[in-house]
Amino acid sequence: MRAATVLRGTLPFAVLVGAWALVAGAGAVPAMFLPPPADVARVAWELARDGALALHVAASLARVLVAVAVSVPLAVALGVLVALHRRLAAVAEPIVAFFNALSGIAWLPLAVTWFGLGWASVTFIMFNTVFFLVFFNTLVGVRLVPRLFEHAVLTLGGSRRHVILHVLLPGALPSIVTGLRLSLGFGWRALIAAEMIATSTGLGFLIYNAANFHQSDTILVGIVTIGVLWLLTDRLVLQPLERRTIERWGLVAAGS
Amino acid sequence: MSGGRAATGRWELAAAWAFVLGTGTAAWALAAAALPLPAYYLPPPTAVLGALAELVVKGILPLYVAESLRRILLAALVALGVGVPLGLLLGMSRRLADFAYPLLNFFQSVSGIAWLPLMLVWFGFGERTILVAVNYTVFFPVIFNAMLGVRSVPRLYVDALRTLGASRGRIVRDVLVPGALPAIATGMRLGLAYGWRALIAAEMLVGAHGLGFMIFSAQAFHLTARIMLGMGIIGLLWVVLDYVLLRPLEEATIARWGLVQR
Repeated sequence: MRAATVLRGTLPFAVLVGAWALVAGAGAVPAMFLPPPADVARVAWELARDGALALHVAASLARVLVAVAVSVPLAVALGVLVALHRRLAAVAEPIVAFFNALSGIAWLPLAVTWFGLGWASVTFIMFNTVFFLVFFNTLVGVRLVPRLFEHAVLTLGGSRRHVILHVLLPGALPSIVTGLRLSLGFGWRALIAAEMIATSTGLGFLIYNAANFHQSDTILVGIVTIGVLWLLTDRLVLQPLERRTIERWGLVAAGS
Repeated sequence: MSGGRAATGRWELAAAWAFVLGTGTAAWALAAAALPLPAYYLPPPTAVLGALAELVVKGILPLYVAESLRRILLAALVALGVGVPLGLLLGMSRRLADFAYPLLNFFQSVSGIAWLPLMLVWFGFGERTILVAVNYTVFFPVIFNAMLGVRSVPRLYVDALRTLGASRGRIVRDVLVPGALPAIATGMRLGLAYGWRALIAAEMLVGAHGLGFMIFSAQAFHLTARIMLGMGIIGLLWVVLDYVLLRPLEEATIARWGLVQR
């Protein structure tokens, strides 16, 4: 049973790599444009052995982690605070929606103007992307919590603090987790683009720099790494998180 | 809620909006005038208006907006015309769908921007590289979601029609395609959201006209007002596209054909 699942997941990739080896091996395409899989594997091994790949992966991941660690708590706290005042929330929502539309790479020129090329600019872009998406989803999530629950807790003598901690925050959690998923999806893509322009470390830099030297093999190693890292994040962090929040705090049954 | 109350609510909201925008702009103008920063760090709102007037008169802005819109529209049409039918076809065969799922999932999770360096080696700095990167970015979420949409239609509906003697064509037309529509709308929205950002990034890196090129090249000359203007337009265009076209489309398909089982 388990073996069948593994086979179903890997067989398509085996077929793809086989087709790639055939096309590259037939000599119809110059190796500079499409290096055979064996060459790419060799370059991957070299990059892994001399630590370059680990360095670039660590740089990219560190930027994601710093941005998430700083902006998620801030965005959730601010989102709940603004959502407490329903009128304020109604005014704030379109403004935050606008900044969401802008999130990501469009901030790069301004970031470079303010912070110069380097670490600060890239982190600023990531911060922006994560912050506004999580903020927006917290805001929407809190507003979607039925007022009935709020009134119930108040009627039972609960304080404002009780309402926030036991009603609004848990009720908004599924929406917050959705915001986190979206922000990581957009943020990860923005990061790769920003690293191409503004830094000299990270996976984005690795592949863009390789393009200057026409090293298609290095580029392919980078692309595969980027894809695998995202799939791992999705499988190991986001999906379990979503499953747990929706099972535990999802308001599906109460709403319908 | 009565109609009267809704109307007052709307007026109140508009007034609150005007107030927020007014104070925001005033605070920005004040900060630009008072803060001891070089002028290019934070140009005043008037400088952004000036940049708008200048670029419109010169004809640069309309040209760049048209270029960016043309590219994203082309990607949207290709995704609709090729990605959707292909996704539907894949979804109709269980075996094909099982085979395609891991591949499509992988390709949709690598953004088109990550492929850009390879496209630069293949096609050089030019229009073709931008188009491939943007089309790639829009295409994969669309085909992936179209396929998932067909797969998510409950067997029950298919069996029900089959029991009633419907042909295969009938089942495709009346059950599978309508059942997949909400997922297709979701895929289009997500794909275009990623695609719009990939387009801006690609225009920055490749530099052949467009709004991304406009704000990126302005940075080299410290034309910060021009950057802010470009950012405002990039954000506004997406808000309009999303709230006027994509979101209503998604909600309408979910309301009309959504197969959420209760």
